[in-house]
Amino acid sequence: MAILNFNPGDEVEIRLAKDELRGRVLESGERDILLLKLDSGYNIGIMRDNILAGKVIKRFKEDKEEEKIELKRKDGLKNIGLVITGGTIASKLDPQTGGVKWLTNVNEFIKFYPEIMDIANIKKIDVPFMIASESMTSEHWIKIAECVKKILDDNEIEGVIVTHGTDFLGYTGAALSFFLRDLNKPVVLTYSQRSIDRASSDANLNLQCAAEMALSDCAEVMIVGHATINDDFCYAMPGTKTRKMHTSKRDAFKVINDLPIAKVFPGKVEFLRKYRVRDNKRKTELDINFNDKIGLVKFYPGQDPSILDFYALKYKGIIVEASGLGHLPVSESGINWLPNLKRHIKNGFVVCVTAQTINGRLDPFVYSNGRELMDAGVIFLEDMLTETAFVKLGFVLGHRGWIGKAKEKMLENFSGELNDRLITNII
Amino acid sequence: MVIDYTKLGVKAGLEIHQQLDVGGKLFCRCPAFLRNDGPDFLVRRKLHAVAGETGEVDMAVQYEANLKKDFIYQGYNDTTCLIEVDEEPPKMIDERALDEVLKIALLLNCEIYPATQIMRKTVIDGSNTSGFQRTLLIGHDGFLEMNFGKVGIAMVAVEEDSARLIGDKKGKEVVFRLDRLGIPLVEISTKAQLYNAEQIKDCALKLGEILRVCKVRRGIGTIRQDLNVSIKGHDRVEIKGFQDPRIMIKTVELEVQRQIDDLKNKRKNGEVRNSKEDGTTEFLRPMPGGARMYPETDLPLLKINRDRINAVKKNLPKLKHEIRDELKKIGLNDELMKLILDNSNNLDEFETLIKVYNKDANLVAKMVVLWRQEFATRLKKSFEELKEILSERILEKVLERVAEGKLSEGDVKNVLWEVAGGKDIEKALKIDKVGDDALEGEIIKIVKEKPGLGANAYMGMIIGKMGKNIDKRKAMEILNRIVNK
Repeated sequence: MAILNFNPGDEVEIRLAKDELRGRVLESGERDILLLKLDSGYNIGIMRDNILAGKVIKRFKEDKEEEKIELKRKDGLKNIGLVITGGTIASKLDPQTGGVKWLTNVNEFIKFYPEIMDIANIKKIDVPFMIASESMTSEHWIKIAECVKKILDDNEIEGVIVTHGTDFLGYTGAALSFFLRDLNKPVVLTYSQRSIDRASSDANLNLQCAAEMALSDCAEVMIVGHATINDDFCYAMPGTKTRKMHTSKRDAFKVINDLPIAKVFPGKVEFLRKYRVRDNKRKTELDINFNDKIGLVKFYPGQDPSILDFYALKYKGIIVEASGLGHLPVSESGINWLPNLKRHIKNGFVVCVTAQTINGRLDPFVYSNGRELMDAGVIFLEDMLTETAFVKLGFVLGHRGWIGKAKEKMLENFSGELNDRLITNII
Repeated sequence: MVIDYTKLGVKAGLEIHQQLDVGGKLFCRCPAFLRNDGPDFLVRRKLHAVAGETGEVDMAVQYEANLKKDFIYQGYNDTTCLIEVDEEPPKMIDERALDEVLKIALLLNCEIYPATQIMRKTVIDGSNTSGFQRTLLIGHDGFLEMNFGKVGIAMVAVEEDSARLIGDKKGKEVVFRLDRLGIPLVEISTKAQLYNAEQIKDCALKLGEILRVCKVRRGIGTIRQDLNVSIKGHDRVEIKGFQDPRIMIKTVELEVQRQIDDLKNKRKNGEVRNSKEDGTTEFLRPMPGGARMYPETDLPLLKINRDRINAVKKNLPKLKHEIRDELKKIGLNDELMKLILDNSNNLDEFETLIKVYNKDANLVAKMVVLWRQEFATRLKKSFEELKEILSERILEKVLERVAEGKLSEGDVKNVLWEVAGGKDIEKALKIDKVGDDALEGEIIKIVKEKPGLGANAYMGMIIGKMGKNIDKRKAMEILNRIVNK
């Protein structure tokens, strides 16, 4: 086996037992395979063991000269701000090396999404970090909130767009909803489910509609994305009531236990319900108190209540995704949770329940099981989404002044997370 | 007009796209099934500009026009899934399709790449919901053995077919049907090593012969063939729709003449032209830039190991000329061979039956291609009816009896005739056995009546007495036995 001193991007020539090949070296991701781009455009792999000799024809040099694109201003367009945090919407394939890279360069972002510039001027862009959404922690939510707040304070800016990975976008939506109080302008989270190298990517429509929403009159935290699998319009969905309901479809995000705020077309917003109206003069407050000593557990049949002992030891509170209307096994069951619940709740551990069914509201009064749990001090979170409840619990427990008031605060409607009028969702 | 191809420096290569018939699609598990009924659902999409790294102007121009359009895709609940509407990442490559392409690449004597990356080829006319076509290179540097020498095979690839255009592309809305999207296509490109019209046609026919022994779809639209051709001093011209063998030579001659005229008028630009039925071609579009290809990041590198290649190699189908050689070896005469090779059903049936009885290939061939036709005419029935009565299983039974020595070859036709006329096969076989005994009895009688004559004389008498339909060979056998005693 020949020792090859090849780097991704190099033009090389290799000799095999039967023939010779020439191509550009790509990142293969596998140590024993040399991946080459041939002149035909195809990429093929050769086992390194089978390469008799090889030489570099031309070393790859990274093109350091970046095109300088000025953030062009179009007369008559209003200003928005942009916060880029990672995810598919901000990643691209590097054709030179074959690797996937972030669109860290702001100019590049604009190059990929030129249509947004016809709707609004992007006055400010902030890139606090570039990560996939599964890598985020509450620290990142806080960081995003700080960036958004700074942009909202700019008198010349009408609204903010945050681009984000899809997987945990719902959590960030909830966090921003709680962290940004007295919101003065629209805060719009958006995403893409299809990579932006393809002409069919959903990113474009999502971004255009996000820009429309950022200029709209609605001063709420919203998630904007495809309403259906068609490329015709998006929904603007409430930040505390929206969940990713599909692994890959364009219209993965759905409003749960509520209605979308608006139907958004490029060039048009049709509101579907009442919303908080913009007031540019209002001052948005940042409240980033958060306690991350919180847990989230999904109850399953036969689950041992000693799981609570583990959480109570290290955490301040827990969300249990319970069955049906909010049930866990109680006195009639061989695995009665009541003794453990009572013991820990008495010691100040906060236990909330949400619905595994995702849709619908909890109700402790329909069966005696529910009443027993409520008497033990379990907090029934009505129609609140589990993910939103998790974020809210951290937010509530992060406020020293609210110690002892967990139940009251968890059931206070801060940002549309509770809806006391569930309807049949016919739009 | 006589064209001096050598003097003109004609160089040509063929490119074939042929649908494979392996039941399914390449990257999803939907059946490959073209529909004529109305769709169950529609999906509406738009294309958006993709920032290219190279200045592909023609592509950009087409993009501009397409960006304003709406693309409507027709789908079916039972034959279209989320993958075809670009709502789910692709599944692993269909194994049957991969084996079939390997087979084709090996028949074309190609080298197989040990690892190959599934690529996305940018498509800008809306015919793919994803905005690209998935394609992967399988083989390279093969050759075809032609009577005028070797023709190199540049590459063998497999790719997804596009969605089917319904109506035209002219309006603001363009409609596609998703039934065809994702059906596997094999792409074969020869090297530019064809130097005159005859060679081009021979090579096209030879490629067709190879594809026909593989699992490929038949019928209009399942094969698309392009010709790349140039004369010295002229840029390469690509002729689309070059698949009708009847007009190939004429098309090449006219194109060469057109290029000669081009040069006279100081033109030499390559372009894409469309082949017409009368052999002429018409301008389609300027020559496109190289395809923009980048990896399908949703799928891992595809490795094709030695074992897999060897397994395919072991089961390579035989080509027509190889079959012809084999049939000749087992004694089949030219006329019957022609009929047997006429269609693949005949050959399949023949190959099944020859395994039952292999001592007389011509007899087996006659059963398959001659007698059923003859009986049909005599009984005024259709050939299909006769084929149902004298099924492969019936022929097999008769030959089993011959192989066991219980029925003479000469009686086979009679037995089949009786079955064709409505007699039960078991009865027909039994009666014939009695018939043999009767024949022997009769012969003994004749010989006893007039002893001392030669075998040929007795034969004449036997035919005179028993009619022409007796098994002459059997009669001669009996005669020889008796006379020589």
